[in-house]
Amino acid sequence: MVEQLIHTGERIDLVISDQEALDTVFVQEANSTLRIHLFRITKDGQPFNLNDTLHIRHDGTGCRTEIYALFLLRGTDKAALHTRVCHDKGQGTSAQIVKFILADEAQGEFFGEMTIAQDAQKVEAQQSNRNLLLSDTAVMRTRPQLEIYADDVKASHGASTGQLDESSLFYMQQRCLSREEGRRLLLRAFMADVVDTVEDEKKRQELMDAIDGII
Amino acid sequence: MHPQNKIEPRHTASFAMNTLLEIKNLHATIGGKEILKGVDLTIRAGEVHAIMGPNGAGKSTLSAVLTGNPAYIVTEGEVWLKGKNLLEMPAEQRAREGVFLSFQYPVEIPGVSMVNFMRVAVNEKRAYEGKPALSATEFLRLMREKKALVEMADKLNNRSVNEGFSGGEKKKNEIFQMAMLEPCLSILDETDSGLDIDALRIVSNGVNKLKTKENASIVITHYQRLLDYIVPDYVHVLADGRIVKTGSKELALELEEKGYEWLNN
Repeated sequence: MVEQLIHTGERIDLVISDQEALDTVFVQEANSTLRIHLFRITKDGQPFNLNDTLHIRHDGTGCRTEIYALFLLRGTDKAALHTRVCHDKGQGTSAQIVKFILADEAQGEFFGEMTIAQDAQKVEAQQSNRNLLLSDTAVMRTRPQLEIYADDVKASHGASTGQLDESSLFYMQQRCLSREEGRRLLLRAFMADVVDTVEDEKKRQELMDAIDGII
Repeated sequence: MHPQNKIEPRHTASFAMNTLLEIKNLHATIGGKEILKGVDLTIRAGEVHAIMGPNGAGKSTLSAVLTGNPAYIVTEGEVWLKGKNLLEMPAEQRAREGVFLSFQYPVEIPGVSMVNFMRVAVNEKRAYEGKPALSATEFLRLMREKKALVEMADKLNNRSVNEGFSGGEKKKNEIFQMAMLEPCLSILDETDSGLDIDALRIVSNGVNKLKTKENASIVITHYQRLLDYIVPDYVHVLADGRIVKTGSKELALELEEKGYEWLNN
C-alpha cells in the first residue's frame, strides 16, 4: 500500500480514470483538503477486474475529505471499492458519494468503512452509495460500516440499489422521447453529482464524452 | 349495443373526414384484472369530450391504454388515430403522432432540466414530422411564448422536471408541455385535481387557447366544476369499464346533482 502525505493546509484534487488499481492511504495533516474523483468506465473488448482500496486518515484537526466515485460496468466487468475513512482527530469533515451502474453480468462491490475516534469531536461524516442495475443478471454488493466512538459528531450513511424508474421512462416516452433517449437522460442525471463536481473543465468534458460513448 | 352513439354529430357531412380517434370494443387488463370491458368512442377534430365516472370505473386506465403505458394489456378491440393503428405503436410514436397525456400525477425527474427535456421532446417530434431541429434561439423563444400561456415563471428552464413543484405548478407544467408539442389529441387526466381556483382558471385558459378546429381533447374529471371552464361538446359516463351514458354538457350538471348512483336506476 502506497502512503501519501498531505501537508498542513495543503489542498489536493485528484481525478483518477486510468485502469490502474488504487491501493493508497492518504494521511492528512491539520486543515488539509483532499478531493478524489474516481472513475471506472468500461472499455470495449477488455473486461476488467479491479479492486480499489482507498484509505484516508485524519492525523490533524480540521481536515476535509471528499470522495466521488463512479463505476460504469457492463459485460463481465468486475470492480470493487473499499474505502476506509478514519477520523482520528476532531473538527474534520468527510463526504463520500459512490455510485455503480451495472449492466449485463457486471458485478460491483462497495465496502465503506468509517471510524470516528473517541476524542475526534465535531466531526461531520457522510457516506452515500447509490447503485443502478440495468439488467436482471448484474450483481451489486454493498456494505457500509460505521464505528463511532465520539459523542458530538454528525454521521450519516445511506445505501440503495435499484433500477431505472419505469414511471419516469414512460413519462418521457409520452413526451416523444424513445426509451433509449429517456434512459440516457436518466443515467446522466444519476451520474451528475459525481461528474459535475470535477473542477477541471477539460477533464470533465473528456469524461462526459467517454460516458456518452457508452450509455 | 352501447348507447353512446345516440347523440348526432354536429357536422354530419364531414364525419368521415374529421374523425380523429376511433375506439372500438376496447378491453384492457392490468395484473390479470379486466378494467376496460368494451369501450366504444369516436372523436372528431374540433371536439371536446368529457369522461366522468366513479372511482375505479377505468377512466385513468383508458388514458394509460391510449398512450401505450406498458403496465396495461389490451386484450380485445381496436384504436385508430387518423386511420392509423394506434395500438401497434410504441408509446413514443403515439406521442409523436400527436397524442398527449396531461398526467394526473406528473412524474418528478430529478437532474433532468425542463429546458433539456423539452428541447429533446420538441426536436424528436419535429424529426418525426420531417422538420429540421429548432435552433437554440428559436427554441428559447418558443419556450418563452408557451410559458406565458400558462403564466409560468421564467426560472422554469433550469429546474428539474416537476421536482419540488407545487400541485398547481405541476398541472401548469403539463399544459405548458402540451402547448410546446401541439398535439392533435390531448387527454387531460384529472387536470383539476389539487388545483385552487386561480390555478384552475389559468390551466383552463391555457387549454382553451390551444383549442383549434384540427385538434380534440378528452377531459377526464370527477367534478362538473372543470367543465364550467373547459366546455365539452359531449359528456360520457364511464362505469365498470364501459361507457354507459352519453349526453351533452347538461349531463354533467345532472350527474353533479344526482350522483352516479342515479345511473343504476
